[in-house]
Amino acid sequence: MEGLHSPSEGGAPSAPLERIQCTWCQGQNPKDARNCQSCGAPLDLRNLVSESGWREAPRLRDMTEIHFGQSTCQVEGEIVPVAEIHLGRGDSVYFEHHVMLWKDEAVPLTTLQLPGGLKRALAGMPFIISVASGEGRIAFSRDATGELVVLPLHPGMEMDVREHAFLLASHTIQYSYVRIKGLANILFGGQGMFMDRFVTSQVPGLLVLHGYGNVFERTLKAGESILVEPGAFLYKDASVTMEVQRQKLTSGLLGGFGMSLARMTGPGRVGIQSMYVHHATGE
Amino acid sequence: MEIRSPQAPSGDAPRYTCPYCALKSDGRSGTCPQCGGPVDVRALVSPARWAEVPGQKGEAKVQFGGSHCRISGSYVPAVKADLAAGDGVYFAHHMLLWMEPGLHVGAMSMKGAFKRVLAGMPIVMAEAKGPGRIAFSRDAPGELLALPLQPGEVVDVREHLLVFATDAVAYDWFQTDIWYKVQTQRGNDRETEIHRPLGLFMDRFSAGSRPGLLVLHASGNVFVRNLAEGQFILVKPTALLYKDPAVGMQLHFEHPATTWSAYGAWAQRYTWLRLQGPGRVALMSAFEPVHGEGGSLVACSPATQRQW
Repeated sequence: MEGLHSPSEGGAPSAPLERIQCTWCQGQNPKDARNCQSCGAPLDLRNLVSESGWREAPRLRDMTEIHFGQSTCQVEGEIVPVAEIHLGRGDSVYFEHHVMLWKDEAVPLTTLQLPGGLKRALAGMPFIISVASGEGRIAFSRDATGELVVLPLHPGMEMDVREHAFLLASHTIQYSYVRIKGLANILFGGQGMFMDRFVTSQVPGLLVLHGYGNVFERTLKAGESILVEPGAFLYKDASVTMEVQRQKLTSGLLGGFGMSLARMTGPGRVGIQSMYVHHATGE
Repeated sequence: MEIRSPQAPSGDAPRYTCPYCALKSDGRSGTCPQCGGPVDVRALVSPARWAEVPGQKGEAKVQFGGSHCRISGSYVPAVKADLAAGDGVYFAHHMLLWMEPGLHVGAMSMKGAFKRVLAGMPIVMAEAKGPGRIAFSRDAPGELLALPLQPGEVVDVREHLLVFATDAVAYDWFQTDIWYKVQTQRGNDRETEIHRPLGLFMDRFSAGSRPGLLVLHASGNVFVRNLAEGQFILVKPTALLYKDPAVGMQLHFEHPATTWSAYGAWAQRYTWLRLQGPGRVALMSAFEPVHGEGGSLVACSPATQRQW
């Protein structure tokens, strides 16, 4: 490959191995790559980080291609982006079925076996997760403007995601869910009863989320906290804890009202979305 | 700035073919004069052969008759038409953004008003006659798509997505005949519901002896694909934007393979629109949910199904 030199090559001392590390997913890329092969983030653009440390999720270029296993994911469109998956033989992805946009007729569909189906149904979570297997093509999108957040999960990673926010995950990622503790979280947090949990063991995988509006990420140090609007929460590392903090707003004689915020405490990453009210797309 | 396509060498011969509307031009302008698609970039085509429609056109100028329009904005774009004397456009009144006071606007009579009321379609289309300027937009993020129609060309469009059409384009509609009836249990009551994921009607636009122009609004991004004769594709019914009349469509139900231990999966049913070529199909990436997939299917329009 151009730009890479094997240490075993004879003659003059070999040039240093030149690679570009993606600042979003830490993936290694050839020096002439424009986009990260693991997450699609542009490699030739600077990070957009606010003064307070929130970093804008990378704007994926139209038609960016991402590789996982024997498969590819191509991101198309910039208003309501589509993830078009070309599944290789033996690969599969799982998803909530309402996000399917189109598929080849020959792509088989199965379901993922999930424990606690009744609990999930009562909590308004999908109790059926669908699985599409290669070889073939299938495409996914959501019903509102936003961004695709591509999170390659390295072995041993655990990620918690707001319910219904994941678009697809590769089959090497284990799927479960965690119950959000505390009545206050459920009733006042606006987060619901469960969060999806994605875990990788030995093999890396690809997790694609859809965030409404724009997506921002911040890495919290151990013990560092931030208060966020519960409806804006999108994802977090499993190491980040979340609890509801009630704040009373008073206006003197006229009384006041309460406000709930989610207190997120590090260490780990927290992702939020800027448009947290679900907007219908109209007719 | 002069921008030349790689296929358009110097000279006046029309050697550039627009990948979106097939118009041949000299490729010297930055955008196609007929549909506004950029000529200085290669068409964005996915490996599955879905071509992404140009989208943001940066004040692209689209010519029709003696008039022209410009599409501007990228998030909720607007289109401004500069109508020459004798040229006209028709539109649903809620698409109107602004107009010059001197422009003549009247009502265009429509047939089948009662059926259209029942179907929730507009019963009156407004008609504007030049000279003068008028602008349109729709209240949702997405793309405006200029779709030129050559003489004799016909296209079927999902209802409520027309922004405007030129007066050279005839307007008609037809029943989609895409429906399914499901039964659901609510407490002690059984309820039967009919779902029509494409709506009761689709609009049909055709150009007569003169070429015409349609401007459509799609939620999200737009992707177009040409299906070969006999080729099938399964699409989310509510994502359909337009299709050639030659493209056949019917419902298709899929049941995923499952085991008894997968709770509830035995009742799972996915509702697709099965499109059969030959012809163009266009999808929009933001779509409404398909309702009634959880109920018991009791009747439907002609459909195929597959149990995996």
